[in-house]
Amino acid sequence: MKHPILITALALFALVSCKKSDDSGKLTVGFLLKSKGNQYFVTCEKGAQAAAKDLDIDLRVDGPINADPAKQNEIVENWITDGVDVIVAACENKDSLSTALRKAKQAGIKVVTYDADAQPDARMYFANQATAQGIGEKLIDSAADLTSAEGEFAIITGTLTSANLNEWIDAIKARQAEKYPNMKLVGIRPCDDQKDKAQQEATNLLSANPNLKAIVAVCSPGVPGAAEAVKQAGKTGAVKVVGLGLPSENRAYVKEGVTQAVILWSPEDLGYLAVHAGVALAKGELAEKDAKIFTAGKLGELQVEGDSIILGKPVAFDKENIDDYDF
Amino acid sequence: MKLSGTFKSWLGKHEIVLLLIIVVELVLFQALGRNFLTSGNVSNIFRHSAEIGILALVMTPVILTGGIDLSVGSLMGLCAVAFGMFVKVYGIDPLTAACLTVLVGGFGGAINAGLVANLKLPPLIVTLGTFSLFRGLAEAFTHGSESYSGFSEGFLALGNSDIAGIPAQIWIVILVGMTIWFLVHHTTYGRSLRAIGYGEEGARYAGLPVKRNVSIAYIMAGAVAGLAAVILVSRLGEARANAGIGYELLAITAVVLGGVSIFGGSGNVSGAVLGWIALAILNNGLTRISDYEIFGEKVSSVARELSGLLTGLLLIAALALAICMKTLAARRSAKQT
Repeated sequence: MKHPILITALALFALVSCKKSDDSGKLTVGFLLKSKGNQYFVTCEKGAQAAAKDLDIDLRVDGPINADPAKQNEIVENWITDGVDVIVAACENKDSLSTALRKAKQAGIKVVTYDADAQPDARMYFANQATAQGIGEKLIDSAADLTSAEGEFAIITGTLTSANLNEWIDAIKARQAEKYPNMKLVGIRPCDDQKDKAQQEATNLLSANPNLKAIVAVCSPGVPGAAEAVKQAGKTGAVKVVGLGLPSENRAYVKEGVTQAVILWSPEDLGYLAVHAGVALAKGELAEKDAKIFTAGKLGELQVEGDSIILGKPVAFDKENIDDYDF
Repeated sequence: MKLSGTFKSWLGKHEIVLLLIIVVELVLFQALGRNFLTSGNVSNIFRHSAEIGILALVMTPVILTGGIDLSVGSLMGLCAVAFGMFVKVYGIDPLTAACLTVLVGGFGGAINAGLVANLKLPPLIVTLGTFSLFRGLAEAFTHGSESYSGFSEGFLALGNSDIAGIPAQIWIVILVGMTIWFLVHHTTYGRSLRAIGYGEEGARYAGLPVKRNVSIAYIMAGAVAGLAAVILVSRLGEARANAGIGYELLAITAVVLGGVSIFGGSGNVSGAVLGWIALAILNNGLTRISDYEIFGEKVSSVARELSGLLTGLLLIAALALAICMKTLAARRSAKQT
């Protein structure tokens, strides 16, 4: 009669042969992901684990596995009652997670955000992957480098209303006007964050602008989309493709020589930095505000602008180094 | 003789199975997890599941009639957006806005009610339709990405403070629970719901106002979805179209786990409440376990991935156990006669 209960209990035990973490007086850090299945955040977590090893702390990683916007709040609130010392979070819903992070701050927990910021009053520092300027400049610099800084280029963006993408595009325009006067922007097309749409738009751009020298994609689906269009138009190499994206999505095109450069910060370093910053706060090594410089382990000295710790310049992935990155 | 009779009826009750399961959960998580049975965490368990709780409560009458309402989660999204707009765009005070939001929810429920009760369309199909419709409306109003935040401290207190040591929103759950319990178990309306669930035609021939009573169940579900949305917004401090994603299935799971027949006609409100509590404990307990091993491999993140699997196991185990116990009880009573 009692078998089902026995079975349930046994199943629980079999699956979770648990070892309670011993309370060795180590600092406890909660590391919150936007979502658990996302390769980008899995890579951030790798960096966080590396930092945890460096600093000898107890790291707890958690994140939602579905789209429920309340899940991140619940995780943070559970960490508060669990008594963690530091919370390092990437915010899916900025305002709602800020509500929970404020509670954490009130409870004396040090709070650092990374990747996607909370409201400024809900955390102490934001580990900023790259400034809009840094991203925009890196993109236009690579395009200029590949086209000897002359000729027509076009931009593929996510949506025309996206705030951060527009900031990057503004940075591209400013840099181009200042440093590359012989380059000419002939069009900005939205791809609605879909590869198919990006391919369509890129095909249209190619046929409308026969002198096009480069396509710059500022959203990640735009890069493989533009590459596919260039490849199918038989313009491999003649029209350069650069963009912001994950190495894994672009590996094939980069190796074929369709895409010349993929640009991204290292998510691993971002996770590493964020955990280092949180622990430094808890140990009192980092002032709770107005720090100017922060030394994050192997990353060395990083600039602090206001309350953002800047990870540094984005990395360009090309034929030579793309195999070293598996995210 | 009398004692064994009591034992028999005691054994046959589904609630006992659930209480057993809850005890097993408590023991397991207390043994395996960190700081599980602390006052802070127990209040988290309830605070984080209050919305599912009231949805499960109002889902019970709907399922008793042999119906189902898949739209409550989406309706929460629509109501959250409506509430956000009332407060932030039209500057209405939160209390009035909350009442208006409940009305919006009731109106959403009335759409379901009209289609199910008057047009005799299958509830599964109707509410599958409104499931997409309500969420779609919420997204359309906010262009998919806008959200409302910056609510007053007083309003946020509803979702984040305690009254007499109990999370504020749990008082609302208790109020809704008492109302539904009274309606289902102590009124002719409640009895008629079961009668409709057993056989709608029969109920109609018996002179019951089937249309009206079924409608009331769906409208209540909608109105309470509006209330759940207000509670969720006050807890999160942000009103967005993605509020309540997947909550309808969690609420239905709680009700079915509570022994309410999915075909209608039988079940108790107390069962649904225990089903809700069992799920809430499971959901919270798993977050208390980290640094565990799965098949010998060490994992440092928490056991969240297991929650789906264990919810499934829990549901199957509870229903299987309940049937075993009923069979046993029946056998005992057969022996005695």
